[in-house]
Amino acid sequence: MQKRSRTDQPDVYYNAEISKQWPPGTGALMVGEPVSGLSDDALLVLYTNGDGRAVQELTMRLSPRCFGVAMRVLGNRAEAEDVTQEAMMRLWRMAPNWQPGQAQLSTWLYRVAMNLCIDLKRRQRGGYVDLDAVPEPADTSRSAAEQMQDGARQDALQLALMQLPERQRQAVVLRHIEELTNPEIAGIMDIGVEAVESLTARGKRALAAILADRREELGYTDG
Amino acid sequence: MADTEKANQTLDDLFAAARETPVPLPEHLVTAIMNDALVARAENLVPTPKQNMPSRTRLRAGVWRQLMFAIGGLPALGGLAAACAVGVWVGLAPPSFLPDPAQLVGYSNSTLVPYKGYDLAVVLGEEVP
Repeated sequence: MQKRSRTDQPDVYYNAEISKQWPPGTGALMVGEPVSGLSDDALLVLYTNGDGRAVQELTMRLSPRCFGVAMRVLGNRAEAEDVTQEAMMRLWRMAPNWQPGQAQLSTWLYRVAMNLCIDLKRRQRGGYVDLDAVPEPADTSRSAAEQMQDGARQDALQLALMQLPERQRQAVVLRHIEELTNPEIAGIMDIGVEAVESLTARGKRALAAILADRREELGYTDG
Repeated sequence: MADTEKANQTLDDLFAAARETPVPLPEHLVTAIMNDALVARAENLVPTPKQNMPSRTRLRAGVWRQLMFAIGGLPALGGLAAACAVGVWVGLAPPSFLPDPAQLVGYSNSTLVPYKGYDLAVVLGEEVP
């Protein structure tokens, strides 16, 4: 796997080298035919057939979700990038063996990402919270004060999440931020639905207790 | 109770804010992922080297080769096959000068007749109540 460099890589989503080696329309679709309406399964087949547009579409469709979950669970941007890149690499490698319709590609990717997060944490045994990992608010129309408050709230949520046990944190992120269903989470975490319900309930209670004293500080008033 | 509700409401608001603020994907990561896709496809196109995988055909050929070596090669296998064929032939149609194998171990044709010393009617009569 090619290691990325933050300084050497050009800031483009679809670089010229890839376009040259992998021109659009070399798969089953005609040149110019949109791929954005296709399912993940269909895009993966197109990728296997060598269509560069499928790569771009799958990357932009799946990797942000994978990266978001990894960052919430790990609390560290660099580690989340590593996990996302590795998870996507596994996706590309297993593409020829994927059985369309048997499972959702996004669920498979979540599962790979969660397992990579667990492996990473096991290796570390006692990570740290990187506050730079918390995303900045994208809405520039809000005032500076509001943006600062949004940032403070996201920091507070991330710090609280990092105080949860690992499995609780994963379940809470998948349930309440990614809004997956309990059966989906059960499949991703390889546990029963009841265990997911228990993990999310306990996680939410713990988060509420952690954040209870910070309501006013975070700008939440009783009225 | 009211505090718990407030805390839960705060948490729900924070979750909602987190959902509305998607984590921006770094552009260098996007580029790296798409380069990996190119590398992985090239890897997928390379056929698996067959010489490193023991196939059923190769294993079967190995067993036959070992058996041939143990017997002594193709001429020895031909001699063994001829000897087997002669044995079967002699067994089915023995020459007249050869003794009867049954007589050699003490049996004769008469001793092999079933129910020779019994009266069938007596036997059947015993079974009738």
